[in-house]
This record gives sequence, C-alpha cells and structure tokens, in this order.
Amino acid sequence: MSATWLLARRNLGGNRVRLLASVGGVALALSLTLALDAVYAGVANQLTSYIDRAGADVWISQSGVRNLHMVASWLPDEVTDQVRAVDGVADVTPILYATDTIAAGEERAVAYVIGLPAGAAIGGPWSIAEGSNLPGPGEVVVDARFAEGAGVSIGDSITVLGGEAKVVGLSEGTASLVNSVAFVAFDDFRATRGGAPVVSYVLARVASGADPDAVAATVERQVTGVTAQSRTAFSAEERRLVMDMSAEVISIMNVVGFVVGLAVVALTVYVATLARRREYGALKALGARNRYLYGVVLGQAFLSVAIGFLAGIAFTGLLSFIVAQSSLGLELALGAASIAKVGVVAAIIAGLAAILPIRQIAGLDPAVVFRRGAAT
Amino acid sequence: MTTLTLDVRDVSKRFGEGDTAVAAVRGVSLAVEPGEVVLIMGPSGSGKTTLLSMMGALLKPTTGSIHLDGTELSALSEGRLPDIRLRQFGFIFQDFNLLSALTVRENVTLVAELAGSKARSARDKASALLTDLGLGERLDFLPEKLSGGEKQRVAIARALINDPTLILADEPTANLDSKIGHEIMRLLRRIAKDQGRSVVIVSHDQRIRDIADRVLWLEDGAFKDMVTMATDPVCGMAVERERVVSGNRDGETYFFCSNGCRAEFLAADGQGPRSWVRAASALISRHTTPTGGRRGGD
Repeated sequence: MSATWLLARRNLGGNRVRLLASVGGVALALSLTLALDAVYAGVANQLTSYIDRAGADVWISQSGVRNLHMVASWLPDEVTDQVRAVDGVADVTPILYATDTIAAGEERAVAYVIGLPAGAAIGGPWSIAEGSNLPGPGEVVVDARFAEGAGVSIGDSITVLGGEAKVVGLSEGTASLVNSVAFVAFDDFRATRGGAPVVSYVLARVASGADPDAVAATVERQVTGVTAQSRTAFSAEERRLVMDMSAEVISIMNVVGFVVGLAVVALTVYVATLARRREYGALKALGARNRYLYGVVLGQAFLSVAIGFLAGIAFTGLLSFIVAQSSLGLELALGAASIAKVGVVAAIIAGLAAILPIRQIAGLDPAVVFRRGAAT
Repeated sequence: MTTLTLDVRDVSKRFGEGDTAVAAVRGVSLAVEPGEVVLIMGPSGSGKTTLLSMMGALLKPTTGSIHLDGTELSALSEGRLPDIRLRQFGFIFQDFNLLSALTVRENVTLVAELAGSKARSARDKASALLTDLGLGERLDFLPEKLSGGEKQRVAIARALINDPTLILADEPTANLDSKIGHEIMRLLRRIAKDQGRSVVIVSHDQRIRDIADRVLWLEDGAFKDMVTMATDPVCGMAVERERVVSGNRDGETYFFCSNGCRAEFLAADGQGPRSWVRAASALISRHTTPTGGRRGGD
C-alpha cells in the first residue's frame, strides 16, 4: 500500500464517529438518487408489463401512435385482415383499449381496460390466480391485488366502462403502483363505443424464425395508415414516455442527492483535515510535498465516498427486497445504468469535496509545528 | 580544515514593512561542525524559533545566507526545499507531532518512503532504528499509547530515518519530566558523537546545558554572549567556562565550579593521573566571534 493510501485510510478510520457520519451521509444521499431511479425504473417495468407479456411480437396502431399510455388509437376493422395477410405474420388479435376508472363499492382505481375477442390467443392475462382468463359477455377479469383491496371475489360485480360486469377471473402481475389492467369482452367494449367498426391495436405473432422488426416494417409498407413496431420497440417507447414524464422529478432529486452528498463529504473531510492541521504541518516541515498531502485528502474523500456508494447500493438493494416482499405493489428496479450514473456523481462529489481542504493545506505554514499545542 | 555542517552568515529576518516592520533576527552568524551539539537558549520572543525555521529551510532570511554542507539553502527555489528538508534535516519538535493515526513504525517508515525508499526496506530500517532506541516492543503501538519519552524517541527515529546531516530540535524536553528529558538529551548527544551528525537545539531548559558542546544565548534577535561548557574534573559538574574559575596543568586549561575544586585539583598535581582527571573530556579550546558564533575549527 502506498504511503498516500496508508495515511488516507488511517486518517479516515482513526475517528469512527466521523467515518460513520461521512459514510452514512453519503450512503443516504446516494441511496436517495438510487432508490428514486429504481422506483421509476420499477414503475416503468410495471407499466410495460402488459406490452411485454401479452404475447404479441408486433404491435400495430393508428399511424403516429407509438405507445399505450395517455394515447388513443383507432384503426378500421379491416386492418386486422390486412395485417393477417402480410408475409411473416402467423396470427393476429385485435383489441380495444381505453384508460378507465373501475370501481367496486367505495374502491376506485385507474385501469387499462382491454377488450378481448372470444377465444383470443394473445392479448389476455398471462397468469391467473383464480377463475377464467377470458371474459365472456358481461364479464370482467381484474387484477387479484385490486380485487383484494376492493374486497371483491369471483362472482361479484364491479363497474367498468360505465356498466356493471361480473368478475370471472383474477389475474396476477397486471397491477402497478399507478394502475392495473382489466379485461372485458370485445363486443361489450365495442358496444360502449356505439358499435363503431374500429379496433385500437392489432397484436400480431410472427411466424417461426421471422424477425419482428422486419415484419413490422413490412406491415407498415403494405398496410396504410398504421404504425407497426416490434414488442421491444413498442415497450421502449412506453418506457421512454414514462421516464420523460418523470425526468424533472428525477433531476430534482438527483440534484438534492448530489448537494446533500457533497455537503456531507465536504464537511467531514474539511473537519478531518482541520483536526489534523498540525500533522499536515509537521509533514510539510519534514519535507512532504503538497501533492502528497493533496493525495491524502483526495484519498480520504474518495474512500469515504466509495464506501458510502457501496453502502448506498446495498441499502437500496435491501430496500428493493423489502418492498418486493411487501404488499405495496411497488417494484424497485436497480439497474446498471443507474449505478454507473450515481458512481460518476459520487466521484464528482469526492473531487469537489476535497477542494476546500486542499486549499487549506496549500496555505498551511509548516512552521505551525513550532507553535505550542497538544502533544501527539 | 573541518567542513562545516551548517554555516549561518550574518542572517537577519524582518517581518512586515515600514514603521510596522519587526526585526526578529538581526545579523546572526553561527557555524556548526559535524558531530557538534549546539544549544540555543533565550527568553520568549528572542527569535529562537525564527532562527530555527530559517536554519531548517522553512523560512527564508531577509538578508544573509545559510549554507548546509556547502549548499546555500537561502538561494534555493521553494520547489527544491522539501527534498532538502526530507533528506538532509531531521526535525524534533516539542509536541512530538507524530501522526496519530499511524503506528510507531508507520510514523517512521512513512518519512523514509516520502524520500523514495521502497516500502520493505523502509520498514526494515525503521524497525531496526526503533529497536535501537528501545522501542522494539512498541512498533505496532499508536502514539496515544506511548509515554512522552517514548514519543520523543519515535520522533528521534523519524528524524534519523533518512540519515540527515543536521538534526534540529525545538524544545525537545519541554513535555518531558526531568529524568526522561535528560535521557533524551543524552541520546541526542550520543547520536551526534557516534554518527557524526550535528545537532542544534533550541530550548529554555537549563537542565540540559551540560549535554551541549556550546550554549548560545539569543536575545532581541542576536547572540548576546556565548557560553562554552566544560566538566569540572573534580566533582563532574557541568560549568560555563566563561563564568567559572580555571587552572592550568600540564599545559591544559581546566574549569571548576568553585575555588575548592580548583584547589583540590591543583593540589593533586604531581600525584599521577587520576580517573577524574581523565574524565575531564569536555576540555575545549575555541575561538569565538563577538556575536558568539564560531567560524571554523581549531
């Protein structure tokens, strides 16, 4: 171990309380950023779960519509057959879609309501806790967590799309922090729209070995007035929209985390340097060059931030685990990109935090060692 | 001709400008030979620390020059001074100034590594040095676990690790009791004599005068008087040659604490050598400058 790291490490570990305050402060500040990123990534995962798991390889929507959330897509009925005729398409399922508030007694919740044709191969719930996965006329399949919260069970009625429907199935993995997915019969949904011969999206499965992106491109070429995207692309668009909507909040919290982390590290490193001012003066008098002393201070800042960063990751990971075990319906997705971003922020914090103590050392007169003080 | 370790030539240091200027050191000259122990005493505010700082290349003189082993320190750029301090000076401070987070051995090793030694050889050398100084059982202790005398011995080891030409000690006994203080000073004297290193000590401590080859009195920034120490051959007491009675025998000059000792010594003349006569090793015959500094050897 070099002399620089040895002294940096020992100086840092020499005062346990200060070390704990520094590392704890950094860990909490960085955890704030990490956890918020993880929450948004988790919400994005949940919001795209229907897209990701409904079974479609290609999503066909009204021209210009590239996602589900906060949009409306209307396609003529005949588009379904036109898509089915495209080379590479194995089968298609048209769905109707709207964002609605479903209610059971006093319990109300926002839901993506999906109108499913009878016998639909794709587009329905992918995991069923209880009951049927395909709603018939006057029936609805709701998320099991919503049902539990609303005190609803199989056979009970709820309000959906302005009418009553009987719960015939409870699905799993179809709820997020902000909404859930409810499935009704296609014809019931169409009836609420006056029977207009339109669909919202056409979901297509591609033939074995076909490339979804290539098939999507072919659909766009051969069918007029549509936008076709592979599931991956459609999901990415949905995720991007969610993150764009929350970008400002994330940015603000990132800044808060950065400032808090910077303040904690800067203060503790400054205090640690001040407390050892005389020792730094002695080292200067003995012949240590400023660059060595700067290295010690920087080393202390980087060490405390690095430990705090690792503690922050561990803390956020633990939080993710605890949340996943709870009934909050929240997912914390701690991603590599987020960790890398916070790592860079942590490095910047360490560098900036060392500036003030370095300036203090630069101006330190080595003759301070000749002034009387506590004997060490 | 003896090569001087330290040669301070007509050095002055002034702080501030114009009417508010303060002359901390005024026209001081001092020459220190290899292996010589020089003690500088004086009242508070007399300029001792300023002089020590200049001798240690921590402060540049306003006028005059300071030479170490023939190199004019006062002419060197600031950028070269840290290396000079690291390799040619050994500093010992009143407050020890050990690094509290490092162990005894690490405190010494660090300074060797700063001077470019490899970690392993620095560690081995530090261990050997500390063991020589009686700290073999304390190598992995933190400074807070040591007594004052032990801390000062660590500081001495740290001062010696890079084989310095000159050791500068600032009030090295101030935080030690009388017995330990004397032990430390005897240790410094032994190092000076055995290893040929020069030692300059600044101190208020009258009890350590007897270990110095020369005692200088600094007052108002200038040496007022020079005192050369000798040992009374009869009672063994350290005496200032310029202030006590003397007597000649066999062509040599001896110094005594009192007329009684002198009479006893001279009465023994012709009775053959006696052990206490041989013990009069502090016999010194030197020429001095008016400011108290000595230029060159005999």
